[in-house]
Amino acid sequence: MIRLYDYVLSASCYKIRLMAALLGVKLKHEAVDFHPGRAHKSVEFARLNPAGTLPVLVDGDLILTESTAMLVYLAQLLGRDWLAPSDPKSAAQVQHWLAFSGRLAASLGMARLHDMLLYEGNIDAWRAQGHAALRELEAALSERRFAGGVWLVGDAPSIADIACFPNVALSQDGGVSLDAYPSVRLWTRAVRALDRFVEMPGIHRLHELHPAPEVV
Amino acid sequence: MTPRWTATGLSQDLPKAVAMAGHWQGQDLAVWRSATGRLQAWNDRCPHRGMRLSHGFVRGETLACIYHGWVYGAEGGCKHIPAHPALTPPATIRVAVFACVEQDGVIWVAPADTLGAPTALRGLQPLRSISLTCDVAAVLLVEPALSGEDTLRGLVQIAGQACEVCLLVQHGASGLTLHALCAVGADRIAASRWLEDLRRRAERKGTA
Ligand SMILES: N[C@H](CCC(=O)N[C@@H](CS)C(=O)NCC(=O)O)C(=O)O
Ligand code: FES
Repeated sequence: MIRLYDYVLSASCYKIRLMAALLGVKLKHEAVDFHPGRAHKSVEFARLNPAGTLPVLVDGDLILTESTAMLVYLAQLLGRDWLAPSDPKSAAQVQHWLAFSGRLAASLGMARLHDMLLYEGNIDAWRAQGHAALRELEAALSERRFAGGVWLVGDAPSIADIACFPNVALSQDGGVSLDAYPSVRLWTRAVRALDRFVEMPGIHRLHELHPAPEVV
Repeated sequence: MTPRWTATGLSQDLPKAVAMAGHWQGQDLAVWRSATGRLQAWNDRCPHRGMRLSHGFVRGETLACIYHGWVYGAEGGCKHIPAHPALTPPATIRVAVFACVEQDGVIWVAPADTLGAPTALRGLQPLRSISLTCDVAAVLLVEPALSGEDTLRGLVQIAGQACEVCLLVQHGASGLTLHALCAVGADRIAASRWLEDLRRRAERKGTA
């Protein structure tokens, strides 16, 4: 069984939990005491990932420590539809968004770690870089909408969408509002409406799709 | 003088059963569309504890607050309080309602007692809403083909072709927003890139 070293509040770990859920595969979760324990910085954990980051995915003798690589692995193994079309343009665009998701983690993701887990650093710079990245995403998604599309690459959701979704959907936790990004907001709704979508603290399935709470 | 009708968004960005944030002259609004398509603009504060209603969610013809789930219906009246399910909420629990109309693909808001309609925008199609960190003067400075105060219009060059554009100015809590329209039939991808470029140039000029 594929194992995921995981922390419930981590946006990067959620990328993998979400992908696995959408693919309909069960992972074995190894909870890591990221906060306050800092278990990911221990000597034991360094044997798995010398960089001391989460998530880590282990399948037999394969150890992956980059979430984007994990998305590629899971989709290649279990649901190639999620890789987007393989023509040169689409393939390159997928790589673009996988790399771009790293910029989201380094800006919106850091702003959130600052606000939630008291990480030290330049919060104004992280938020400004987050807005700059959201402007790029908004422009790209608006162009997709003009062409009749919904997703970042091709006609169906792909690992590109899953890579970028978590830190965008959680941006409010880092003090970055999505009010100025209408196309981004509609795209996050489309992801949240997917079949087999799973939640994490701060990211919910569309409430409209939940039945109204029972009145007792 | 600022006209009473202010553009607060584009119809294409507010599908059925969605709520979003809007503004009327510095006043925060929750603008939302019901499941059957009814458009409404309310004060963006939940009467219970002040949560933003634009963060709430639409169920049928009602808007529910994300915080404790109070449900508001037509004309802003509170219909249901989940913590007191048997209670009929008193009529005094009511969200202030604004006038809200849709015309030419633009969502316009004004105080509830406003008469008349917003100015019609003929021959134009909605493009995008964008926010800027500079003021209107900087926009006019970098694009002299545009003129106006609350409605910037002009014939600009987009990908080597003259194109009619219209930028509806909105001043919100977090700065300037432009709701952009371009000539019907114009290439919206090219127009969107022109708009991005305009923003970069205007912001580099800064606030005059
Ligand atoms: N290798 C990156 C790391 C992602 C990342 O930054 N993870 C955070 C938690 S969300 C982390 O482990 N931070 C600890 C650190 O950077 O020291 C990935 O898989 O995308
Ligand atoms: S603040 Fe809206 S229901 Fe409590």
